[in-house]
Amino acid sequence: MAKVLVVAEIKQGVLKGSTAELLSKAKAIGAQTAVVAIGSDIESLLPDLVGAGADQQYIADDARLALFSAGPFAACVVDAARQFDADQVWFGFSESSKAVAPRVAAQLDAACATEITDVMFEQGHIEVIRPAITNKVLQRVRINTERMVAVVRAGAFAADPELAGSENVVRLAPPPADLKAVIKELVSEAGSEIDLADADIVVSVGRGARNQDGVELVKALAEELNAGFGASRAMVDAGFMAHNKQVGQTGKIVAPTLYMAIGISGAIQHLAGMNGSKVILAVNKDPEAPIFNVADYGIVGDLFEVVPILRQEIKKIRS
Amino acid sequence: MKILTTVKKVVDVELNIHVKDGAIVEDGLQYVINAWDENGVETAVQLKEDSGAETTLVSIGGGDNTDVIRRCYAMGIESGMHIDDPALEKADAFIYARVLQKVFEAGDYDLVITGKQAQDTDNGQTGIILAEYLGLPCVSNVIGIEVLDDKHLKVSRSGDAGTEIVALELPAVVTVDVSINEPRLPQMRGLMMAKKKAIEKMDLTALGTSADEIGCAAPKSEIVAFMATEKRSGGRKFEGDAAEITARVVDLLANEAKVL
Repeated sequence: MAKVLVVAEIKQGVLKGSTAELLSKAKAIGAQTAVVAIGSDIESLLPDLVGAGADQQYIADDARLALFSAGPFAACVVDAARQFDADQVWFGFSESSKAVAPRVAAQLDAACATEITDVMFEQGHIEVIRPAITNKVLQRVRINTERMVAVVRAGAFAADPELAGSENVVRLAPPPADLKAVIKELVSEAGSEIDLADADIVVSVGRGARNQDGVELVKALAEELNAGFGASRAMVDAGFMAHNKQVGQTGKIVAPTLYMAIGISGAIQHLAGMNGSKVILAVNKDPEAPIFNVADYGIVGDLFEVVPILRQEIKKIRS
Repeated sequence: MKILTTVKKVVDVELNIHVKDGAIVEDGLQYVINAWDENGVETAVQLKEDSGAETTLVSIGGGDNTDVIRRCYAMGIESGMHIDDPALEKADAFIYARVLQKVFEAGDYDLVITGKQAQDTDNGQTGIILAEYLGLPCVSNVIGIEVLDDKHLKVSRSGDAGTEIVALELPAVVTVDVSINEPRLPQMRGLMMAKKKAIEKMDLTALGTSADEIGCAAPKSEIVAFMATEKRSGGRKFEGDAAEITARVVDLLANEAKVL
């Protein structure tokens, strides 16, 4: 039986949904499962970790793990993987995962597959599916080693609400600090804002907003919807939005239930970051804008006129 | 400070890419410098201009890489090498990292700069694995570098909860994001000068290693097939009175798509 270790995704002290999604997939393919949670003051997450469905929980809880640092985090994952004798280590999709997964793979002499959307157990080996070349193609990749480390794309697997875990806690020793790459501080622009990566609805603003007033208008829509607020590259380059708000090939990849592209023309670069969304709404005054080729619903019009009506109509329908 | 920067020649993603019988149709493809690597080159050149760093570039695979390397020369890189070998045909990130390890060990470098991923594979692994092989500190997804002294950098990376500030001791590996800088456009004069500069071409033997030592015959993973992505097709597009069509679309989002 395969043994899958899932790395818990914890953000601002909360266990994210990807953990249960990955454990559900692991269970569905008949694997024995464990979860490893890394951070500071995370003891209170134990019920959630058990609830996420793993047979076993490895917990590395130490004040020195309060800020993310790839070296120590990788050391914790490797420790848990060795104790569990995992043949697979799965991460949810995040910047931290992308930094840690290759380290873990190198240390375990395992293959490494990033951004996978599916995993198959073929006769005697594993194969994964992953997008490549800016989402333009899918690769079917054969894993030649017994062990694999994978980063799973957001939304690839669904959580099984029936899944229940059992409490078997192993506490990990704190890892050695990385003395040559010392995390000094976290400058948070985000704070209480909705995280783009796991928002149900994402509203993004593009060049059509023209100025700060336009940006504020679209932001108000995002806030009313409790949505993540993103932007096209043009808005980031123009200095209207922070770079960590950029949705696209070179920015964040999002796959929300509803994606609203407001004043975004739909460059390939941008589409690569959002074409996995379930439903796409586009608002653009150019009827020929390429965004309409991927949008499920398109409104041709100037966002300064359309967005206020959109806000009104959404309020109406929700009340 | 001696800098080694890596550059990969990749397929131009601005053009359409077609898949037939499990393979990418080569016809009509064009090749360019990987976007993230171009930011890495710009980073190296800025460190040369601001802190007197020496800049060397390495490119692995890709057949004739002359254009790509000359472009980097024209941007300001001082010397470059191109490593290609038939044994590298099925190279995965671990094999690339082993080759880079050999290059690093032959050169007494202080800093390796790679793009955070290549736009053909979108793997994002090679630089990080190289650091593991070399036992060096590594910061990925870097958006800013400040030189403190000969042995220390202050590096910022874009993380999940904001910008992480890291004190990094050299030698080290960094992988850079596109938001670190705006790569300069090479000027005509620079491109002309670049034509006169030598490119050191090597196979694995010339690099002082072999396909066996690198492990070329046993990639940890290999692509067995390419498939076309499911094409999204456009749905309904509404034109006309803004109030009317917006109300209609909101109704559809709520009652048809059920996403509001």
